[in-house]
Amino acid sequence: MEIFAANHSSYPKIGDAPDQQTHRIAYARWERGEISDEEFEKIQDLVVKDVIEEQKRAGIQIVTDGLIRWYDPISHIARGIDGCEINGLLRFFDTNFYFRQPVLKNRPRRKQPVLLREFEYAKSVTDMPVKAVMIGPYTFTKLSINMSGLGFEDLVLEVGKILAEEAKDLSKAGAELIQVEEPAILKNVNEFEIFKSAFEIITKEAGEERIILTTYFGDVKPLYERLLEIRVGGLGFDLTYSPNLPDLIAKVGCEKDIWLGIVDGRNTKMEREEDILRIVRKIAANTESRRIFLMPSCGLGEYLPRKVAFKKLVLLSKVVERWKNEQEQA
Amino acid sequence: MSRSKLERLKINVPKLPTTAVGSYPKFPYLLEARKNFQLGKISREELFELEKKATRDWISLQEEIGLDVLVDGEMYRGDMVTYFAENMDGFALSGLVRSYGNRYYRKPIIVGEVRWTGPITVGWWKFAQELTQKPVKGMVTGPYTMMDWSFNEFYPSRKDACLALAKAIHREVKELWRNGAKIIQIDEPAISARPEELDFAIEAMKTVVEGVDAYFIVHICYGAFEFIYPRMLELPVDNFDLEMSNSSLDLVELFRLHPFTKDISFGVVDVHSHIVEDVETIEQRIEKALEVIKPEQLWIDPDCGMKTRTVQEAVGKLKNMVLAARKVREKIDG
Repeated sequence: MEIFAANHSSYPKIGDAPDQQTHRIAYARWERGEISDEEFEKIQDLVVKDVIEEQKRAGIQIVTDGLIRWYDPISHIARGIDGCEINGLLRFFDTNFYFRQPVLKNRPRRKQPVLLREFEYAKSVTDMPVKAVMIGPYTFTKLSINMSGLGFEDLVLEVGKILAEEAKDLSKAGAELIQVEEPAILKNVNEFEIFKSAFEIITKEAGEERIILTTYFGDVKPLYERLLEIRVGGLGFDLTYSPNLPDLIAKVGCEKDIWLGIVDGRNTKMEREEDILRIVRKIAANTESRRIFLMPSCGLGEYLPRKVAFKKLVLLSKVVERWKNEQEQA
Repeated sequence: MSRSKLERLKINVPKLPTTAVGSYPKFPYLLEARKNFQLGKISREELFELEKKATRDWISLQEEIGLDVLVDGEMYRGDMVTYFAENMDGFALSGLVRSYGNRYYRKPIIVGEVRWTGPITVGWWKFAQELTQKPVKGMVTGPYTMMDWSFNEFYPSRKDACLALAKAIHREVKELWRNGAKIIQIDEPAISARPEELDFAIEAMKTVVEGVDAYFIVHICYGAFEFIYPRMLELPVDNFDLEMSNSSLDLVELFRLHPFTKDISFGVVDVHSHIVEDVETIEQRIEKALEVIKPEQLWIDPDCGMKTRTVQEAVGKLKNMVLAARKVREKIDG
């Protein structure tokens, strides 16, 4: 079994230092119309490069582009959907972060690729493995307003088809790790079959081995065994809401890659290396998984100051180092 | 039920009292002054004088508009949680954290035992109340929201942090009451975030209000009410100030299923929209409220604090709100 340290998804766009204000200043200028879309895009490219380098410095093995261009995890993808408008702000699950709510006004159709160019750019500026990230069809639809005239189930499937195209593009562009986030299913277990049908459109189109089904902001224990049924390469969990999940994983087992959200992406308190290692040892000893990835419990970009986000990633890389040393000595 | 409490406390308000939730937009001169203070160009005292001027200006504007219960407008506050954290023991401030879009704030970190060390809002409440004959609400951020919107590096659990904060905030509430505040609002926008924690949120609220004979309002907004209603009615307060318009009055249907048993401050204007709702639209919203709420239970206000609007938008919305409330009042009185 191999253990890796990875980022979850987003990374803070700005820090506290004066030289870490580039994105904020450019965003304000772009909003005021002082710089063009193209100029803003170029600046965002630089910030993406910067946060990828910072992740590398933290010592982790799998980076993301930090979702620097995303306003939020939901509305970003909406720009690629015909028949989708953007409404007001709504609280993102139980956080104090707000997303713009999409309104699906017609049967949704794909307008343009959204994630492909972002992934290709990230790949071009690093030699490290880049994980692509996207919201899943169930969560996207659940958090949108449905004025399409379609029933909820049909709408989820239509959105699933569009997102499958996004994932297929990423797959063709060489993305070997595509994290599809479905936090909303944790609070709506009764809609599992709808969620599963839509999700499997993505795995079918993009290749199941590349897809990581990731949940957060809820206890995954009641759903764990059903998630194992889904044909995906990896499963990602937020352990802060499921502190007893490692026991269940150890008991039931897992043959997929496991992405453990093992450091709290929403609290500045630093975890202890020893506590993390204890969990890793337990899971490693009791599953058939080929790979375990240690990551934050959720995206860091919306919930932590940049300095702390960096420290959390450094912590993960130290744990991986210790694990490797243990294995060598054993 | 709470009408009798209002009468007992000698709080004179008409039917369908109009009020605001708490914050108002800061005037350009105050925004400039806050910026200059950050840059070290003006002193704390100079900023304080302008905060007082802005408070006076908002009290005058509210009286002109004709609101029945006033607020101080929170001209002296930045973030509603950070302001209290900065004035209590046990907190530090984090680096910049994103809120939405291009907005960032410094989130409090609980780094030690949380303690109330002296009045935080009392001076401002007294200042505002002395400017008007109308009642001014005392306003504090509640313990659940303080806990949920802070990083916790000290207490072993969220519940422990929340209950410790409740004790500290109780001291502030008691001090407001001792100084004459008869209406006290506890802002708890986060309380619906985790329905599984409602039990200790209620326990915390009991601590906050214990032994204080005021008319209590709890403000809750932008949450998943469907998961905490009707249990949230167990919060020991007299009035629930709820955001209704942003969610297209969906809650009214919930109230048909489970009658609302307390007073309600019903949000009739959307504070996230630049559009100033016309009187007729607001009137219709009030009428909709009256389908499920008795007139003696009903207060009228915006969905939430108005600090993100322009002064002009806020005044426009409030004016139309007051006009609409008066028209409905006239209809009720025949």
